[in-house]
Amino acid sequence: MYRYGWLGVIFAATLVLPQIIGEYWVHIAVEILIMGLFAVSFNMIFGYMGQLSFGHAAYFGVGAYATGLLLVKTSVPLPFCLLISMVTAGVFALVIGYFCVRLTGIYFAILTMAFGQLLYYIIFQWYSFTGGDDGLQGIVPPDWLINVKVYYYFTLFIVIAGLAIMWRISESPFGYTMRSIRENAERTRFIGIHVRKYMLINFVIAGMFAGLAGGLLGPFNRSIAPDLCNWHQSGIPVFMTVIGGPLGFFGPIIGSVIYTFLFAFVTGFTEYWPLTIGLIIIAVVLFVPGGVLGLAQTKFKAFGAGKIAESERGSTETEI
Amino acid sequence: MVILKVEHLFKAFGGLQATSDVNFEMKSGEISAIIGPNGAGKSTLFNLLTGYHRVDAGSVFFREKNITNWPPYKIARLGIARAFQISNIYLALTTYENIRQAILAQQRKTLNIFKPAAQMAKKETRDLIEIAGLSQHANTVAGNLSQGDKKRLELAIALGCKPELLFLDEPTAGMSKDETHETMSLVQRLNREMGLTILFTEHDMSVVFGYAKHLTVLHQGAIIAEGSPESVRSNEAAQKIYLGEEA
Repeated sequence: MYRYGWLGVIFAATLVLPQIIGEYWVHIAVEILIMGLFAVSFNMIFGYMGQLSFGHAAYFGVGAYATGLLLVKTSVPLPFCLLISMVTAGVFALVIGYFCVRLTGIYFAILTMAFGQLLYYIIFQWYSFTGGDDGLQGIVPPDWLINVKVYYYFTLFIVIAGLAIMWRISESPFGYTMRSIRENAERTRFIGIHVRKYMLINFVIAGMFAGLAGGLLGPFNRSIAPDLCNWHQSGIPVFMTVIGGPLGFFGPIIGSVIYTFLFAFVTGFTEYWPLTIGLIIIAVVLFVPGGVLGLAQTKFKAFGAGKIAESERGSTETEI
Repeated sequence: MVILKVEHLFKAFGGLQATSDVNFEMKSGEISAIIGPNGAGKSTLFNLLTGYHRVDAGSVFFREKNITNWPPYKIARLGIARAFQISNIYLALTTYENIRQAILAQQRKTLNIFKPAAQMAKKETRDLIEIAGLSQHANTVAGNLSQGDKKRLELAIALGCKPELLFLDEPTAGMSKDETHETMSLVQRLNREMGLTILFTEHDMSVVFGYAKHLTVLHQGAIIAEGSPESVRSNEAAQKIYLGEEA
């Protein structure tokens, strides 16, 4: 277990962090946590199943709207709202995923994006229910969460719980079946696995945790906008995962730290953020294709070695 | 008892008749080979039997159950496994993980989302690695295995499915003489000791005649001869088309 010692260190650091940094940076830290959870849920599809979802913001957005609407229009407690966010996002993922998992590769990416955009326009237009392009205002968290430091700890708790569950899933026979589908879907069929069904289940799991992440955002920002479902938003977990490394469970979190921190830092003195992140992505893809985590894993064995194996991807052919 | 029955099987790719009125039966516990020159339709036949291709016409029965055009995963679950000609393994996973995956699938445990896979099917996986002769390479990433070891792993994955009926498409392709002998005696042991019904294709005639009890000769998608190795050896049509140079 010594290998996971560094996890304990990081956990301790996350506990002390809000006591030593300013309030502005606590805000950033909350964002890092929420986006990290979102990015890890995206990576369940990208890193483990080997498919690029370019519409993952749809489930993030659905989760955000579910909690947002409940908090604005009813008085149910926040934890319950978050549960509803997960379930709602899961239902959307089930319906949309049913069609998407029939395809792979670029077609999968395009179809997930098309459904995401469809959802975006519905939310954008449906003024009476979603507030349309005005978004939803006045999403107030319960009194005990008004203080941003408390909200940070609350988010930390939820995010760690979410990550723990996804970690567990990724190490389960189901998780390994995802890797086997990524590596060789055909072989997986021939050992008796209904590949499409498994892909759909994974798609729903990923959607649910994206929804959970989305649910945390509304009460934090006090408002949400339809842009949360737009394809720009779907690009963010892609960037985070590529920067952090898709082949380790924690890669997307590292990506979220780097991306969110840089965003806050860079936009402080220039408006050329898209240019900055573009250059970073180019550099990572060209020089550090395994992302930061991939680099760390090859340099220091302690960072969950053995998983390095997965950096060697390949596909096989069959004679027809 | 008849375990596999194939009736009037047809398959065409464009204008090419890859399988043409193929009929045959296999009895439980049999070890047979399909031979024929390149392009005779051996792999196509395996693909039709395991659901990889849809058949144009005809039927496939497994223990009297009509499994024609069933999807591959359902056929696999019935107890029919196959090893591919070009090894079809999980290149980025270790040998151990490759084999465990097949075993967990066979045990119907792949929907388990909470128990760590590392704690499951340990004994079964280790035993099968041992049987396949891959013990030293248990933790090697499959992509780094030698060609011969990849073929062994291919076979081990098929065995992980605990099949009753096993199709082996050129199980020794790319192996040295020693490795070929080793693999085929393993196949023979599986047949004799565990009663596995095995159908294999092979180019090397010494392997075919050394291990198969029954031969089927395919030519241009059709069966032109079948029977015991001796009877096929003396069959004129078979000699002419396939064994010509050697007989």
